[in-house]
Amino acid sequence: MADLEARGIPTVGVATTEFIEGAASQAKSLGIDPALVFIPHPVQDRTDDELKKLADDHLEQILAMLVKD
Amino acid sequence: MTVLLDPTSERSPTIRPRLPRPQSLDGLTIGILDIAKSRGDVFLHRLGERLGERGIAVKYYAKPTNTRPAPLPLRQQIATEVDLVIEGLSD
Amino acid sequence: MTDRLPQDGLVAVVKRDCPTCVLAAPVLGDLARNGGLTVYTQDDPSFPETVPGRVDDTALDVSHRLKIEIVPTLIRFEAGREVGRTYGWDRGEWRRLTGVEGLGPGLPEARPGCGAKNLEPGIIERLKIRFNETGLKSRRIEIGKDEDEQEAMYARGWSDGLPLVPPTEERVLRMLDGTARDPQEVLGLVPPALAAATVEKIAVNAVMAGCKSEYLPVVLAAVEAVLDESFAMHGVLATTGFVGPVLVVNGPVRGRIGMNAKGNALGQGNRANAAIGRALQLVIRNVGEGRPREVDRATLGNPGKYTYCFAEDEEGSSWAPLSVERGLKPGQSAVTVFAGYGLQGVTDQKSRDPESLSRSFAGSLLGLGNVKLAPACDAMLVISPEHHRTFRQAGWSKARLYEELYRLCEIPGADLVTGAKAIAEGGPASLAGKPVNKFRPGGIMIVRAGGDAGMFSGIIGGWSAGGPRSSLPVTKEVRN
Repeated sequence: MADLEARGIPTVGVATTEFIEGAASQAKSLGIDPALVFIPHPVQDRTDDELKKLADDHLEQILAMLVKD
Repeated sequence: MTVLLDPTSERSPTIRPRLPRPQSLDGLTIGILDIAKSRGDVFLHRLGERLGERGIAVKYYAKPTNTRPAPLPLRQQIATEVDLVIEGLSD
Repeated sequence: MTDRLPQDGLVAVVKRDCPTCVLAAPVLGDLARNGGLTVYTQDDPSFPETVPGRVDDTALDVSHRLKIEIVPTLIRFEAGREVGRTYGWDRGEWRRLTGVEGLGPGLPEARPGCGAKNLEPGIIERLKIRFNETGLKSRRIEIGKDEDEQEAMYARGWSDGLPLVPPTEERVLRMLDGTARDPQEVLGLVPPALAAATVEKIAVNAVMAGCKSEYLPVVLAAVEAVLDESFAMHGVLATTGFVGPVLVVNGPVRGRIGMNAKGNALGQGNRANAAIGRALQLVIRNVGEGRPREVDRATLGNPGKYTYCFAEDEEGSSWAPLSVERGLKPGQSAVTVFAGYGLQGVTDQKSRDPESLSRSFAGSLLGLGNVKLAPACDAMLVISPEHHRTFRQAGWSKARLYEELYRLCEIPGADLVTGAKAIAEGGPASLAGKPVNKFRPGGIMIVRAGGDAGMFSGIIGGWSAGGPRSSLPVTKEVRN
């Protein structure tokens, strides 16, 4: 993500809530402030329909990180 | 940990800031990058579908393996083909 | 550490690498056996063997807190406060502090001490940093443990494109040793951000540029010069034109810091030339926020915007140095800043007289900017030693050469009218009928530089040709 932003491409990352702390500490050690959206854990054992609903539910949040507020 | 003195006028925050975002998505292309963790593809493709419904151009990319960073040629390709990126799904 | 200092009693600070401490070790042993003496050792924890209960102060915390300057130092505390101290070995002084007669019977009456380890260069900076006594006010930037230092600096936009020396607190403290000026002294406000250029901020950028601390006074003078109103820094930065600040250094400082006024003086390879010019550019970039494609709108710019700084070749010249010509006293170190770009080479290997050589120079000068534009801009003529010799042998002063060049740069106004010579660029028809000079009065500066062999001189083109919003060269004295 940091690499794409360094190449001039605004980027938003999507991760599960499991990753919140890991993301924070990685960001701190790299000195960056990445745009991140968190969806509820778990993801591995969800059905296709559940995953599609998660995508629908979080679309606006994700897009908001890609435009000026 | 290395501590450096700030050589600047100190008018901006110390953390590397995010890139400025565009005013709107009109006319822009969004790249969707699958980092190859399982089930992420379903989620990401649904995002892509919904963006397509809104008339926003979408391109899909996938990392060859989840265990290593995206290869350089892929990153270079993405950077030249799209304006914005959604990357996922980390857990 | 300080909670080991006695409320009442004696403290001694010693190091093995000190003959007087070694001499006094038996005395310390006696005093320690009597009780009431704590001994701190600065270098080798096994010294002094005569005091089994000695305390390891190799971290130098206690020495720093007690402000030890000489070893051995003996201090008396009463009720938690220091009531007396003495340095070196002196039987009378030690008796006064300890109240014990006949100390060190086999020893001489007195012996001076040695410099304390906590004041050694390098060590004193680290202690000041650890105890937060540096007086440095710049914001601290913590580099993430997984960040590469170079990438971190690039990512924060500090670089001109080339690698930087990381400005750690230690390096900045050492850089500030190069001046007696207060680190918080403000030299001026740097456009376009109009942010304060303190001595400290300039030192941080000087570290990044690769300067040694002895270069700092020259960098400070250069910043003062560009911040002088008549240099018009904002305009120089924001132009679509080519220019950046060009620095010429005069006076004794050139030799003291090893600048290059001779072969390849305008090129690479000399640390002082390279780093001083670069430090100025980094101050403009980082403190002033003057960056390409932001406020800096240069269409092409020029390579001199990385660094453009050289020393004038004064020795053996029959002409006064530039700084003297511009009003400073001979023997004063000075920096002159000129808004300039690039280098137009003038080759002349045949002229034997000053008139012919002057015509070679004038021919090139007339092409500056555009043959159809006059006055076009200011110019700096850098004359090599072999070319200068031609003028010296003919007895031409610098004034004589200026006069000749000025005369040769007069152009018939009709030649400059738009459309003349089938070139659309040019001026209004009203120019026809009277001569126009390529340069404003005072628009040419002449300096001598370059290797002793080679009949090549150079022209550094300028930006503007006088007038209220243009840039004028500025000369400032180099002060310590």
